[in-house]
Amino acid sequence: MLRRALPHLAIFAAILGLWEAAIATGLIRSIMVPPPSAVMAAMVKLYLVEGTIYRHFFITLWESVSGFAIGAGIAIALATGSALWEPFRRYVTPYAIVLNVTPGIALTPVIIAWFGYGIGSKVALAAVLCFFPIFVNTLTGLTRPDRDREELFRQLGASDAQLFFKLRVPAALPLMFAGLKIGLTTALIGAVVAEFSQATEGVGVLMSRFSFQLNMGASIATLLSMTAIGLLLFYSMEFIDDRMVFWRREARREAASRARARAWKARRGD
Amino acid sequence: MALAPDPMGVALRRGLTHAGLFLGLLLLWETSARLGWLNPLFYPRPSDILLSFGRIYVTQGNVWYHLYVSLGLVFTGFLAGSILGVALGSLVGLNPTVRRFLQPYVIVLEATPRIALAPLMIAALGFGAPSKIAIIMLVCFFAPFINTLSGVINVNEEKLELFRALGASKWQILRKLVLPDAVPVIMAGERLALTAALSGVLVAEFIQRDKGIGSLILTYTRNLNMASAFACIFTLTIVGFLIFKGMEWLDRRIAYWNHDADMARVSARRKARWEAR
Repeated sequence: MLRRALPHLAIFAAILGLWEAAIATGLIRSIMVPPPSAVMAAMVKLYLVEGTIYRHFFITLWESVSGFAIGAGIAIALATGSALWEPFRRYVTPYAIVLNVTPGIALTPVIIAWFGYGIGSKVALAAVLCFFPIFVNTLTGLTRPDRDREELFRQLGASDAQLFFKLRVPAALPLMFAGLKIGLTTALIGAVVAEFSQATEGVGVLMSRFSFQLNMGASIATLLSMTAIGLLLFYSMEFIDDRMVFWRREARREAASRARARAWKARRGD
Repeated sequence: MALAPDPMGVALRRGLTHAGLFLGLLLLWETSARLGWLNPLFYPRPSDILLSFGRIYVTQGNVWYHLYVSLGLVFTGFLAGSILGVALGSLVGLNPTVRRFLQPYVIVLEATPRIALAPLMIAALGFGAPSKIAIIMLVCFFAPFINTLSGVINVNEEKLELFRALGASKWQILRKLVLPDAVPVIMAGERLALTAALSGVLVAEFIQRDKGIGSLILTYTRNLNMASAFACIFTLTIVGFLIFKGMEWLDRRIAYWNHDADMARVSARRKARWEAR
């Protein structure tokens, strides 16, 4: 592990060293690209000494997560409705397609006018932006037919509800989670873009404030906090995905079966 | 119900229901705006939006210039960003060592909302077209890069074995096996990139409002001229649709072996040429 990480670290250090040297010798102007030392200093200041970034960090995190929850809820509800009821799908799809080809970001000023300067407009933009990938992936997953299995279910006398919950939903879950992962990333973009346009708090505000002060070190430090939000969101979704779609990985499947066997035994009173 | 419903009649009836539903929605919107249930300051009436379409396209005709500016930026940034993405993607994909050392950076970059770099770009490059193009390049770069990378890496092992067994050179393997298999994936990446470019130009224009469709939307909204803002947004819907269709067309041209009809067309043309020779 350490042996493999070592070359990576060496290269990283070399890049930083070259970068620092290029700026120290005036090869790159420090106003355009900040030296790593300035980024480090800004990070220490923002994260440790002043600690100002945490409030903004959690505000943006909250905006994107709640926007995502709203967008994903609507998307999954509409997709389930469309999958279950053919006429509904016919009437919803054209509007969904129109929403998809419109760049959702174009709605930013309008959404700010509608929902105000506060947190509401950021949540709304995040919800609008994350809607489509979730909708389309859930719908595709739910309507992907598996004729053989469906026939088997029918022959064993499964009810419509059983057919839906035991066959179509599990088959749709992997695709749905792929959509949810894309949706989380776009929700974060929505929150940040709305913050650029009009806001008083959040990492997007910090970012544009530091940039326009030409405080490049601090703005890169802020950018890294957005990376942290992105990684945090992505890996939490990955974790949930891994738990819910437990049959995809061998190890997870075995763990899930063991847990079920234990629950079964406990119920029998052994 | 007839035993054999004629498909034309069904299509017509469905189309009519769609149109009826759409008109009904518009009517509901219009009446609720007229009756004052919806504040016309924030929620423009459909008729107003239609009038604004007439104004910005015909009477004032100001949208054309802004559209021209924005689309020029979109295509410049898209070309530069996606060429860079495909070039770096194939470079990295074909070289396992480079790939291993670049992986952590790719993961970090993937999690960062690239568009968040927009203010930084403006600060570094100043106001004007260069910083906007840089922002578009940045949002365009990633999808082609990742897709080229995965397209080049995921070579069909069995086919590769066959190529090797038949003594294909490295160049032949690249030209006849790796590239044809990677092109559809790369094209999917390009499609994503062009859509992202449209969003990128809007964000760039929101931040530095001078010209372009994004700044037009922002100006109209700030003046609470919502009908015109919506006319601009629907213009972007049309642009988005045309971009979508255009990329589909390009995909069929470039990766013709993926679509049966286009494959047949190309092979018929090749056959004709061969016979003529």
